Amino acid sequence: MTATGLQSPPAGAAPARHPARPAGLARLAWLHAVSRRVPVALGLLAAFGVLLWAALYWRWNIAGGQAARMFIPLTVEAGPAAVISVTSYGPFREPERAAGRWLPWLRLTMTVLLIAAAAGALAAGAAGGRLAGGSLALLRNLAGFTGIGLLTATALGGAFGWAGPMAYLLVTEVALQGHPTTPWVWAGRPAADRGAAICACLVLAAGLAAITLRGPREALRE
Amino acid sequence: MTAATQAPARPAPRPARRSAALAAWRLLRIELRRSPMPLILPLIAALFWFDSYRPSASTPPMWVYRTFWNMGQGHAIIDFGPLVAGTAAWIGSRDGRRGTADLVTAAPRPRWPAQLASWAAAAAWAVGAYLVFVCVMFAVYAGQGVIGTPPWWWVAAGAAAVLAFSAAGFAVGAYWPSRFASPLAAFGAFLAMVMSSQIGFSHASGWALILPTNSNGNFQPDSGMLYPWLPDLPIARIMLLAGIALAVTGLLGLPAASGGAGLRRMAAVLTIAGLAAAGTAVGLAETARLGPHGMVIPALHDAASDRPYSYAPVCSHSAGIPVCLSPDYRSELAGVSAALAPVVSEVAGLPGAPVRAAQAAATYTSGEGQAGQPMTIAGQPPALRMPLGALGLPGAFGWTTSQAADQVRLLFAHAFVGAGNGAGTPAQQAVQAALLQGAGVPFSLQPEVLSLTGLPGWARASVRGQSARGPGPAAGPVYAAARRLAALPADARHAWLAGHLAALRSGRLSLGRLP
Repeated sequence: MTATGLQSPPAGAAPARHPARPAGLARLAWLHAVSRRVPVALGLLAAFGVLLWAALYWRWNIAGGQAARMFIPLTVEAGPAAVISVTSYGPFREPERAAGRWLPWLRLTMTVLLIAAAAGALAAGAAGGRLAGGSLALLRNLAGFTGIGLLTATALGGAFGWAGPMAYLLVTEVALQGHPTTPWVWAGRPAADRGAAICACLVLAAGLAAITLRGPREALRE
Repeated sequence: MTAATQAPARPAPRPARRSAALAAWRLLRIELRRSPMPLILPLIAALFWFDSYRPSASTPPMWVYRTFWNMGQGHAIIDFGPLVAGTAAWIGSRDGRRGTADLVTAAPRPRWPAQLASWAAAAAWAVGAYLVFVCVMFAVYAGQGVIGTPPWWWVAAGAAAVLAFSAAGFAVGAYWPSRFASPLAAFGAFLAMVMSSQIGFSHASGWALILPTNSNGNFQPDSGMLYPWLPDLPIARIMLLAGIALAVTGLLGLPAASGGAGLRRMAAVLTIAGLAAAGTAVGLAETARLGPHGMVIPALHDAASDRPYSYAPVCSHSAGIPVCLSPDYRSELAGVSAALAPVVSEVAGLPGAPVRAAQAAATYTSGEGQAGQPMTIAGQPPALRMPLGALGLPGAFGWTTSQAADQVRLLFAHAFVGAGNGAGTPAQQAVQAALLQGAGVPFSLQPEVLSLTGLPGWARASVRGQSARGPGPAAGPVYAAARRLAALPADARHAWLAGHLAALRSGRLSLGRLP
C-alpha cells in the first residue's frame, strides 16, 4: 500500500486548520511568546521599572559630576533592552524557520510589544523622582539600547543579544566623561537634541528590520 | 597455538588516580573547544582598547599615570567582568536549559566535577584573554618608552577579579538555568562595579579598600619610580576575589545531585575555605593605613618594600641654582627649570631663598588624593623640596604646559612666604600674589591658577567669589596690597622683603603693614 495518488485526506480525518483565522493567530502568537519566555521577560521589565523607581526615590548616585549621576538610571534603561534582545533567542531553529511563515511578523509584533511594555515600566519607574533628561531622554535611550541589542542578536545570536547594550553602556561610561558632542553617544546629549534622537531611532529601526527579516543568528556554540 | 602466544597481551589497567586525571584533562579539553567564551572575546578586545587603553594613552609616559585609569581605577576589570559573568552564566545554565540535568546526574562521572570542568574552561579563556590583552597593552607602553616599573600586583588582582566574575556568573546560570540568567549576571556585575566605584570614592579607609574598583590609596604618585609598588592591598584583594571564586564553585557541589558524600564534603570544605579567605581579606583591609609609599597592611607588609629606590639625579640650572630630579623625570627637567627660573630670580639674594632644588617623593593622602603636598624650603643652606609626582605634569589629567608651569611657580611662592599647608595670612597671600606677578603670572590670571585641579585644598579656598562659572576676579584688600607691592621698583621691593620676611613667615605681619 502506498500513498501514491492520494489527493485528499482520508475520510474522518480532522480538517486542516488555517492559521490565518484570528483564533489560530492568537494561539500561534501565544505559543511563540511562551517559546521566547515573554511572560518571564515581562516580569523582569516590571522589576527594572521598580529598580528605576527605587534608584530615583532613594537617590542612588555615583560620586562625581553630572555624567556620573546619570549612570545608574542609564544602566537601568539598558537592562530592559538586554532582556528584550534575549527573548529573540529561539530553541527550534531550522524546523521553525522552515514551517513558520508567520515567523517574521511574530518576531516584529513580539518585539514591539515588549518595547512598549519596557517603556511603560520605565516611565512608571521614573515617577520615583527626578530623572535627568526626563521621559523623552528615557524613551530615546531605551530605543537606542534596544536597537543595539537586536542588532547584536542578529550578529551573535539571541542568547548573546545582551552583550551589545552592555558594551554600549561601557563605551558610554567613558564617552560621558569627555562631554560628547556626537549624536551617536545619545545618552550624553540633552533630551531635546534632535540628532541624538534621530540616531537612536535609526538604530532601533535597523534592529527591528534585522530581527524581523533575518531573525537572531543561530550560534554554533552554546 | 602460535597465534595465541604472539597475540599482544592486554595492557595492564592504569592506576585509578592516573586514569581519573587523564579523564579530567580530556573533559577540560573538550570544554575548552566547545566553550562559547571565545565568541565574546573580540567584543571585549574592542572595549578594552576603547575603554582601558585609549584614555591612558594621553597621560605622561610613566607607568603610574598610564595604568592608573585601567588598573588603579579598575577599568580593565569593568571591561571584562560583566561580559565574562554573562557568558559564564550562559555556560552554567547549559544542562538546565537543555533539560539534560537528570541525564548528566545519572552519568558515571559525578555532576560537580563535570561542572567544574565547564567553569574551568570558561575561566581559562577569560583569564587567559585578560592576561594577553594586558601584556599587549604593556608591550605597547614599553614601546613608547614609558618610565618606571609596571604594577604587576595589580595585574594579578585584575586576573583574580576576572576569575571571581566567571565563577559568580557560572553559579548564577547553574542555579537559575534560564536565558535571562546571562543578562542579569552581566548587569548585576556591572552594577556591583559601579557601586564599588561609588563607595570607593567616598570611603578612603577600612573595609571599603577591599572593593575591586576602589582607587583610594592604591596608586601612589611615584610608585615604581622613586619607591616600589606596595603589594599589601593587591594581596588582600586577591585573597578576597579568589575566596569568592572558591566559595562559589564549592556551592555548586553542595546539592545532593552533585556527587557522592565524599565530593559534597569536599565542596563544603571548599566553600568554607573560600568564605574564610574572603572574610580574612576584609579583616585585613580594616587594618590598612596609608603609609608614605602606599597602603600598608601590617600582617602582609614586608619592610623591604619601604626602601626607596636609590638613583643618581639628573640636574640642570635654573636662575643660577641647581635643579635635580630623578632620572625617571628627565623629560620634565627642562620644563621645571624653566618654570622655576622667573620666581627664583624674584627672590634671589633674600633670606631663606633656596640655593638648590631637589625632587622629593610624593605621596597620596586620603583627604586630598595626591594633591595637598606643597613644596617646602628647609635646611641650611635652604633647599627647595619638590614632590613633583604630586604636581601637575603637562598632559596629566588635562593640564597644559603653561598650567603646569604656573602651578610650580605658585607652590614655590607659597613655600617662600612661609604659608605652610594652609592658605596663609592675608599678608602672606598678598606677597605671594606680588611674587607671582613679578614671575609672569598676572594678577588677572591668578584666581584661575589657584583654582586648578590637583593643587592643595588651600589654593581653591583662598579664591574669593568662587561659583559655577569659575573663580571671581582678582579683587579685594589682598590683591590691592599685592598691587601696591608689585608697583614698587624692583630694588625697593627687594629691600622691603629683606626687612620683613621674618615677620611675614611667622604670620605676625598684618596686611596694613605692606607698603
